[in-house]
Amino acid sequence: MRQPAVRLVRLGRVPYAELLGLQDRWLRRLQAEPGTEAPSGTEAGALLLCEPAGPVYTAGLRGGLTPEETARLRALGAEVRVTGRGGLATFHGPGQLLCHPVLDLRRLGLRLRMHVAALEACAVRLCELQGLQGARARSPPYTGVWLGDRKICAIGVRCGRHITSHGLALNCSTDLTWFEHIVPCGLVGTGVTSLSKELQRHVTVDEVMPPFLVAFKEIYKCTLISEDSPN
Amino acid sequence: RALVQALLCTLRAVPSPATRALPAEALAAGGGAVRTLRTRPALLSVSKFTEKREWITTESDTGTVGISNFAQEALPEVGTKLNKQDEFGALERVKAAREVTEINEVLAENPGLVNKSCYEDGWLIKMTLSIPFRTKDLMSEEAYEKYIKSIEE
Repeated sequence: MRQPAVRLVRLGRVPYAELLGLQDRWLRRLQAEPGTEAPSGTEAGALLLCEPAGPVYTAGLRGGLTPEETARLRALGAEVRVTGRGGLATFHGPGQLLCHPVLDLRRLGLRLRMHVAALEACAVRLCELQGLQGARARSPPYTGVWLGDRKICAIGVRCGRHITSHGLALNCSTDLTWFEHIVPCGLVGTGVTSLSKELQRHVTVDEVMPPFLVAFKEIYKCTLISEDSPN
Repeated sequence: RALVQALLCTLRAVPSPATRALPAEALAAGGGAVRTLRTRPALLSVSKFTEKREWITTESDTGTVGISNFAQEALPEVGTKLNKQDEFGALERVKAAREVTEINEVLAENPGLVNKSCYEDGWLIKMTLSIPFRTKDLMSEEAYEKYIKSIEE
C-alpha cells in the first residue's frame, strides 16, 4: 500500500514570524478547492521545521498573557505574539526545534486526537533515540512531553476544517532562563528542561533533526518529499 | 468457520514479527466516530478506529484487537458461502499499529469463540503500537476530549 507523502520544509534558523507566514500559505493551499492551488493528490500537507532565530513568547487560544506581562516580556527584548493554537503561554527561541505539521488529516486517515498522540510520540521517540528513557506524554492540562516533573517538549495544535497547524516545540539547547519569566503553559511550580540539560552536553537542533525525521516518518507512516524534488 | 478462516488468512498476510516491522493492517470498519467503551473497565479503548464494531485494549505499547458483541451478532451464520468480492469490514491501516505480533490461532479450530467470548478469548490479533496509549486513566481521555473540542473548528 502506498504511503501518503508529506512535503518536508526545513527553514533552518529563521524568525518565528517567517514560520507563521509560511504556515499560513500552506494552510491556504490545503484549504483551497481542488483544481486551484491544491497540491497533487498524493500529498497530505507539509512538515515545517525551524529553529527560532530570536526569543518569542506566544499565547494560545485560552490566552495566557496579560497586557502587563506582555509589556514586561517585551522589555526583556522578546517578541510577544498571540496564536490560534491550543494551550497557554510558552516560549520559543534559539536552541529549540519547532515542528509545525500542516496536514490534511483526511488524507492521512487520522483523527485530531491521534495527531496529538502522534506528535507526543515523535517527541518521546526522539528522546529515546537520543538516549533518554523515561520521557512520557501527559494528558491535558499537562499536554506535552515530560521527564519526571520537567517538561522537555511543549505541544499546541490548531485544527480548522481537518487541516492542522502549529505543533511541537522541543528544547534541544534552549536557554531555559527565558521560561522563568512566565508560568509555562499555565502550570505553576513545574519545571522545564532540554536535551542538553538532561544529557549534560550541548545538543543542537541540527543534531536532532535526522532522528526526528526518522521518528516522524515511522509514526505518521508517511514519506517525506524534500522541497526541491518535483511536485 | 469459513469466515473466520478467511479473516485469519487475511491477517496472516501481514508480515510476521520476524520480518522488518511494517505498518500493520488490522481489521477495521473504516472511518467514523468511535466510542470509548466505558462500561467494562477491562476494555478501556483509548484509541479511536471504528464505529462500534471493533475494540482495542492497550497496555503501554501493545494492543489487542477484537470485535464487539454488536459485530459478532452481525456475523454471517456458519456455513454462509463467501464470494471473492465479499468484504468483512474494510482492511484499513491502523495508524497506531507498528507490527502484528500474534494472531489468535485458537479461532481456526474454534471459530465460535468469536461469538461466545468476543471480548476475551475471541480476540483476533495482538500488535505493538507506535503511538503508546495510557489506558489507566479514563479521566485523561475526557480531558483530551475537551482539549480536542477546544482546538477544533
